[in-house]
Amino acid sequence: MIDFSRVQKELQECSKDIEASGIKVTPVSDNLVHLTGIIPGPVGTPYEGGTFRLDITLPDGYPFEPPKMHFVTKVWHPNISSQSGAICLDILKDQWSPALTLKTALLSVQALLSAPAPDDPQDAVVAQQYLKDHQTFLSTARYWTESFAKTSSLGVEEKVQKLVEMGFPESQVRSTLEIVGGDENMALEKLLSS
Amino acid sequence: MVSDSITHNAPIASAPNSRDFSKKKRTNRSAKLKQCKLDVRREQWLSQVGAVKSKCCKEDQNGARKERARSLENLRRRDEDNSNDSGSMHHDSDSESPSNSPTNSLLCGNSGTNPGTNFIGSSSSSSSVSGSSGGGCCSGSITEEEEEDGCLDDWEAVADALAADDDNNKQEPEHDRSCSQSPSESQLSVQSDSLHELANGLSLDSVKSMPDGARMVPSVSENNRRAWRPDDAFRPQSLPNLAKQRSFPAADRHFGQGGVPWACNNVLAAPSSCPICYEDLDYTDSSFLPCLCGFRLCLFCHKRILEEDGRCPGCRKPYEHDQVESEAIVQGGSMTFRLARSCSMIARS
Repeated sequence: MIDFSRVQKELQECSKDIEASGIKVTPVSDNLVHLTGIIPGPVGTPYEGGTFRLDITLPDGYPFEPPKMHFVTKVWHPNISSQSGAICLDILKDQWSPALTLKTALLSVQALLSAPAPDDPQDAVVAQQYLKDHQTFLSTARYWTESFAKTSSLGVEEKVQKLVEMGFPESQVRSTLEIVGGDENMALEKLLSS
Repeated sequence: MVSDSITHNAPIASAPNSRDFSKKKRTNRSAKLKQCKLDVRREQWLSQVGAVKSKCCKEDQNGARKERARSLENLRRRDEDNSNDSGSMHHDSDSESPSNSPTNSLLCGNSGTNPGTNFIGSSSSSSSVSGSSGGGCCSGSITEEEEEDGCLDDWEAVADALAADDDNNKQEPEHDRSCSQSPSESQLSVQSDSLHELANGLSLDSVKSMPDGARMVPSVSENNRRAWRPDDAFRPQSLPNLAKQRSFPAADRHFGQGGVPWACNNVLAAPSSCPICYEDLDYTDSSFLPCLCGFRLCLFCHKRILEEDGRCPGCRKPYEHDQVESEAIVQGGSMTFRLARSCSMIARS
């Protein structure tokens, strides 16, 4: 059973200093089980300027069990799956503590963006590139940020509007955008191939 | 007046003991005669003290003069309406010897209060004035009244019963010596000697001792109208310390404030709410320190954590005892006892 009063208070706390941290947590569903987190890309990294969206699902045991988080926005990072957005971070697994909150967990994810740990990779390809061809890694990561993290900030409705104008049915556009994590170009590809 | 004191005092009398009745006979016989004598002597003494006061005001310590004036006032008041003076403490002793003459009962009353007051007064009074050291009979009218047998007996009885401090014990031999002669005469002679000294201003010691003795009377009459203050120097050590007792409920009163005073000794200040469930910490929770790192949490969350990985949320180290152990420590009491009890309560509900 989720401690909803705690989640509610966490959301209130988080909304208090949204200006300072830039971290937002908003509920997707009414029951506070499914939430969306948004973290700004850390300054001085290839993720700077991007806005990264994470899908958060609270397990029944929360806060005694860690929240399930994965990136919706595509990220080029050794510890984040470039395919699924899965995050390799200890505090979201065995090092979770009930004293942590959604906000502190998201802050940790933000810190992970600025301090990759390629020795313990989630995405082996990215980790290899990070270690062997760092410049390419940086340019790729920057490119992904430009492509995915910034366009996503335009908002889903605008992308839906564009694709609908291209002649695709709205429901299909929305579901496709959902699948590809809000990436407009990938959604277009998928829509064309389907 | 005698009957007045009886009727007034008898209802309040706790339990007149047997010695009081024996005293009763002796003192009643000459009560009226003595009253006349005492009135005369009181006037005499008052004039003498007035002379001393005018002579020796330089030797007087601050406030001694004022206090002596008050003591004189007290004396007058007591003689005039002694039986009505129900507020002061000597009244309690009156009730112990209801049949004594009013002045005598006043003396007995001061003797009764002796352990508290004489303790200080006698330490500063010189030996030349045995009257001032001889219990509460420090003020002029009282010293003169000491000639009564019953009163002396009463002082000794009270002193025996209440011999709490060394000063009392020191004075007793002196007193006994004077008693071994003719108690009333010797006592009177001593008193009159000291009074003469006072009147003539021959001895500074005796002069000094007299204000000391006089100072005791107002201190008796003032202090006895209220309870002892904890910081009072006159306070008998045998009295229980209320300040200590008060400190416990005072600590309990912080109950609702997250146990702030309890946190002073610990590593971290106790939060007002549990960092895990965000519920307010109650008294038990805020005095509960399960981990050396100082991380606090409510007993419910702690119990939940013990059921799972059993690691402290603050430092991620395992708690030193698991639930089974804490249940086993139930007999041990103290912190783990409360923990275990809370856990078992949760388990039942």
